[in-house]
Amino acid sequence: MALEDYKGVFIFAQQVDNKISPIALELLGKANDLAKDLDDKTVTAVLIGSGVKDLADELAAYGADRVIVVDDPELKDYRTEPYAHALASVVNEFKPEILLVGATAIGRDLGPRVSARVHTGLTADCTQLEIGDFPLIAVPGQEQKHKQLLMTRPAFGGNTIATIACPDYRPQMATVRPGVMQKLTPDNSRKAEVVEFNPGFVPDNCYTEILKIVKEVSSVADIQAAKILVSGGRGVGSPENFKLLDDLAEVLHGTVSCSRAVVDSGWKPKDLQVGQTGKTVRPHVYFAIGISGAIQHVAGMEESDIIIAINKDENAPIFDVADYGIVGDLNKVVPLLTEKLKAAIAAKAGA
Amino acid sequence: MDFQLSKEHEMARSLFKDFAEKEVKPLAIEVDDTHEFPRETVSKMQKLGFMGIPIPKEYGGQGCDPLTYVMCVEELAKVCGTTSVIVSAHTSLCCDPIMTFGTEEQKQKYLIPLAQGKLLGAFGLTEPGAGTDAQGVQTKAVLSEDGKEWILNGSKCFITNGKEADIYIIIAYTDIVEDKRGRKQKKFSAFIVEKNTPGFTFGTKENKMGIHGSSTYELIFQDMHIPAENLLGARGKGFPIAMHTLDGGRIGIAAQALGLAEGALDRTIAYVKERKQFGRSIAQFQNTQFQLANMATQIEAAKLLVYQAADAKKNKDRYSVEAAKAKLFAAETAMEVTTKCVQLFGGYGYIKEYEVERMMRDAKITEIYEGTSEVQRMVISGDLLK
Repeated sequence: MALEDYKGVFIFAQQVDNKISPIALELLGKANDLAKDLDDKTVTAVLIGSGVKDLADELAAYGADRVIVVDDPELKDYRTEPYAHALASVVNEFKPEILLVGATAIGRDLGPRVSARVHTGLTADCTQLEIGDFPLIAVPGQEQKHKQLLMTRPAFGGNTIATIACPDYRPQMATVRPGVMQKLTPDNSRKAEVVEFNPGFVPDNCYTEILKIVKEVSSVADIQAAKILVSGGRGVGSPENFKLLDDLAEVLHGTVSCSRAVVDSGWKPKDLQVGQTGKTVRPHVYFAIGISGAIQHVAGMEESDIIIAINKDENAPIFDVADYGIVGDLNKVVPLLTEKLKAAIAAKAGA
Repeated sequence: MDFQLSKEHEMARSLFKDFAEKEVKPLAIEVDDTHEFPRETVSKMQKLGFMGIPIPKEYGGQGCDPLTYVMCVEELAKVCGTTSVIVSAHTSLCCDPIMTFGTEEQKQKYLIPLAQGKLLGAFGLTEPGAGTDAQGVQTKAVLSEDGKEWILNGSKCFITNGKEADIYIIIAYTDIVEDKRGRKQKKFSAFIVEKNTPGFTFGTKENKMGIHGSSTYELIFQDMHIPAENLLGARGKGFPIAMHTLDGGRIGIAAQALGLAEGALDRTIAYVKERKQFGRSIAQFQNTQFQLANMATQIEAAKLLVYQAADAKKNKDRYSVEAAKAKLFAAETAMEVTTKCVQLFGGYGYIKEYEVERMMRDAKITEIYEGTSEVQRMVISGDLLK
């Protein structure tokens, strides 16, 4: 089996309850981007489930040229064994050059199993993917391979960035962090070739039996797990005024947190307090709204990837740690921001 | 050199001692347990003139010297650390700066009722980002366009007598100037602020290790307007005013620390005479005797430093170094003595009703507030190496 027999970019189109997960659409966007730099420019989505065939149109609209559907009652809910069998069989049959899987709970389970079955390399939780040369700089006496997938991911808790290639085996596999890649603008006139493929399923003792699926409804948000935190301080002024922050958080699918002053005033429960005597958080984005930024608070959030501060006092110490800052009245700024974000997100989703 | 207290001092001391024993001591455990500000005790002290001891009679005070005031704080601290700091913060940190820097109008309006005990005072300098580094103050005061009002925004934390006090001395920055090298420097000013001013609210009440009855609050200023005539001293002179005020306050805290150590030692001496182990009182063991000897000696040394600082305040314009030495040594003595006293009490020392554990908890703060021990060392060494 020669490496050049492997062609095209494949993505695993994750669906849950027969709904396409957003990560699948993000992967399609990235796959189209990568395909531009490859000889074979087809983008294939692999759709695995039970009664999922109708979802192919949505995948087509978001950039799939071909949809391979594996449809079997055994595949109704995600289980490691039948899904790994299905995806590995697709790889062996269709031979993709690149296979992208979303780094969701499902994808992190599925990706490594498939890569082991088809004997190839996998890079986990990638944040950047591009086509390029390996090695990056030619080394005398060593062949420089072109058009390789260069997979970049944070390692050691984000303290170092590793770029990894898989030059000798195919497919080049990566799980990709959700929310990083961009979806394409959907085009409902696009059509995809739909290929049905069934490798056959023989239930064995490795098949997990699902007793019950529970959808978690948490009463108090876990601010330490949140990717986006909208945090309010005394400057918010009143518990009612936190509605402005709730609205912003809702648009961003974020969580509302607060400073100690807010807890002391009885506006929010202590579980939502960020800081030295509260919780330490590391979200991707931390909005500090009406928070002066005393070290007692900053110590609990300075590790956030991006800090956005909104405060009417230009000398507030929060601006020392903020990546982006707005000096202004939060009562005016926050609703405007919410509105603009809503519009931008709607535009991106093509709604 | 005269190491004898005058008759007046002796009489004043016996008055304070009498009050402390009768009125303060019976409530000390309850105040510590409930974390309640001892309102009634304070009212009694206000009626008896304890709240203006070193303020001249024409301004509503008792017209006594600083040493008399120091002895009052000391005697109160022997039985209750909380009560002593209420008097100290009011007198040293609020009355004293108005007496020293205030205009005649300000003295008439504020100092007289404060010294008479009709109003209670407090002092606001510390902020979350400005503790030992007091230059880090972020609270800002802006003069209105018509020049009639100052508008303050910001907050203060750990303010003794917070929420209970009627009058607050607040330090805020009013100007930013550039020095010769183009570096920006804040210029601070001091203000007299009344409790019921619109825009002035109280935040967190701190839950402390000791001095439980002392009311320690966060102060919050949101567009707080105060009259222009409430500027204390000259504009831009707030920092020296605050430092001078703290020099006096440190003598008060040194007296508190001294009283705590003396109170713990007195109780321990009585206890070791009564307590029997191995068939005799534990006072008969040489370890007890030597520990007591060490503690008594340290306390005496601290006392002389504290009284000397009080004398310096009476007779000198600048007494920073004397105050710093007194506070440093008295506070560290209080911590060491109270810790050893708990030990000599054995298991009973760890029980609240024996009171020495409270004194140990109260003693720790004397090494921290009104300038940590490290700040005192900075002041002393700065003077040595100038």
